[in-house]
Amino acid sequence: MQRSIDLGAASVVVRSPLREFNAQLDLLYRDHSQAGDSGFADVRVALLPGPPWRVWGPQVRLWSEASCPFDPYPLDSALPLFEWGTNWLLAQRLNAHVLLHAGVVAREDRALILPAAPGSGKSTLTCALHLAGWRFLSDEFGVLDTESGLLHPLLKPAALKNRSIDIIGGQPGAVLGPVFAGTRKGDVAHFAPDRASVAARRRPVTPALVVFPRYREGAALRCEPVRRAEAAMRLGLNSFNYRKLGPVGFDAILRLARTAPAWEIEYGALADALPCIEQLFGKAS
Amino acid sequence: MSTHPAADCALLLRGLHEALEIPEARWDRVLRLARMTGLHGRLAAANADNPTVSERVRRHLLSATRMADFSARMLDAELRDVAPLCGGDFPVIALKGGAYALQALGFARGRFVSDIDLLVPARALRTMEARLHAAGWESAALDPYDERYYRDWSHETPPLRFPGHFLELDLHHAITPVTGRRHFDPAPLFDESLPIAGSRFRVLSARDQVLHACVHCFQDGDLALRVREIADIDGLLRSFAGTTGFWPGLVERANALGLGRPLWYGLHFARSWMQTPVPQEVLSALPGPAAVLRRPMEACISLALLPPDPDRPPGLSVRFARRLALARYHLLRMPLHMLLPHLARKAWLRTRRRTPDGANENAGGGP
Repeated sequence: MQRSIDLGAASVVVRSPLREFNAQLDLLYRDHSQAGDSGFADVRVALLPGPPWRVWGPQVRLWSEASCPFDPYPLDSALPLFEWGTNWLLAQRLNAHVLLHAGVVAREDRALILPAAPGSGKSTLTCALHLAGWRFLSDEFGVLDTESGLLHPLLKPAALKNRSIDIIGGQPGAVLGPVFAGTRKGDVAHFAPDRASVAARRRPVTPALVVFPRYREGAALRCEPVRRAEAAMRLGLNSFNYRKLGPVGFDAILRLARTAPAWEIEYGALADALPCIEQLFGKAS
Repeated sequence: MSTHPAADCALLLRGLHEALEIPEARWDRVLRLARMTGLHGRLAAANADNPTVSERVRRHLLSATRMADFSARMLDAELRDVAPLCGGDFPVIALKGGAYALQALGFARGRFVSDIDLLVPARALRTMEARLHAAGWESAALDPYDERYYRDWSHETPPLRFPGHFLELDLHHAITPVTGRRHFDPAPLFDESLPIAGSRFRVLSARDQVLHACVHCFQDGDLALRVREIADIDGLLRSFAGTTGFWPGLVERANALGLGRPLWYGLHFARSWMQTPVPQEVLSALPGPAAVLRRPMEACISLALLPPDPDRPPGLSVRFARRLALARYHLLRMPLHMLLPHLARKAWLRTRRRTPDGANENAGGGP
């Protein structure tokens, strides 16, 4: 079957005969997917089973523009391939914007940006904040509009890894897809944002605060301001296309660093990090 | 919403020259074909100020423009870094993308560049390579077989790379493979080459640029980007054809260098796909394929080189046509007694290198 998914800043059309995969999409994109073709899409993919003679270890391939840009995955891992593959394709095509590698959540159209390297706990923190009442905009891409300086939502499910799966999955209200064990990044499960966040996916937000999170097991809470120049550098480093955008990216990042104060927090427990962030956000307004 | 890919491709090629007024769903198809053929930068350059496009389409065009700007900046930086190594003791000719940019040709706007191609006389090849090495460019580490393939059979050195740079540098000493059927002594190319004002690089003469583009288009291995090569031929012809004596000079040169056939193909497909104004008497004066073969040849080349329907895996006929085109490419590159062992070795290596997972993903980077 074919469906269109409206993510906010971009749209995806996906086609697949795989029943289980479609059921997983039904769950994770329950509020923003519809059957059929929307007429225009930023990314179009088909997830098709590999050759039928591969009886031992059947595979699934992601087709985009009549070719397979990635290696096949095991047949039951169509969802991680779809998530990973569409992220990669979106990153190639959304260069009208600066793409920050960041989680973004908001309160009343004011955004908190969580830029971070893999392993720093960005996804876990983004989901925890969302479950604590913040609006979810994105987990992977902070879509910064170079013309308006606003951030656009890109409502893809958050990819939770390893221990985060239980930490977030155990909280009331959390909706998670199935756990895919032993992928390249370890165990992965996808967290679905809530209905209100999805409904607001066309409403951009103003950057209000930047927090560089760093999770370290057993660490006591530490929270320090980051100077503007340094924040700009680090935002640029945590971006998919900063270098390629040249002067356009430089101007957009500077503008962001000038508007939104930046902090760095190190934490060992979400229970420490959340109140600290709430407090910083309150002060930033 | 499926329109025929050939019709969409014709629209794309028209869109390289003029602003398109088409519905958004049609843009969806044209943008995809543009990405498949690497022409999205040029499409965006011609449609940057098109007031009829929707906001979503405008964003895609803007995205392509920004990536093309990046490519142009990287090309400029690389040329600026290599320039001091051109000492004036032998000519260094920029080929293809580098040359189009240096001459500021109209169709270079939005044209993506993935590597820099330089042509030096064969006697100066080692000297130029040594200078590049001394300045920090590194040759890809190759096994002795591949090294020999490049050195003895090809017309270029193994690709050079400067750590941290985006573009690769290919150093050529000829424009056709040494072992190929169409190989010729490149000395006349240097004799006719032209200086670029304010630059240490030279470029081929106008007619040699056209011939090189034709040779490259029909004698190179990567099929997906061939439409782009035809668009280059079209761009060159539109830039140069106004000069007096251009057409007779082009035919004369092609025949003298033994490149009449590739030129016929280049002109024929530029005219047929992009309505490039090519006089009929020019085509008639060239050694085209035999009349009975033209139709099947035309069908086969179109299938192999035009992008297939982006919505489905390529069909049997497309795959067959691509096989044929690839076989032809290999046969032009080296004689059978060399080709068969070469292909056997490649096939054997491929079975050995096949790993269950991962390899080409890492190349892509990304999230």
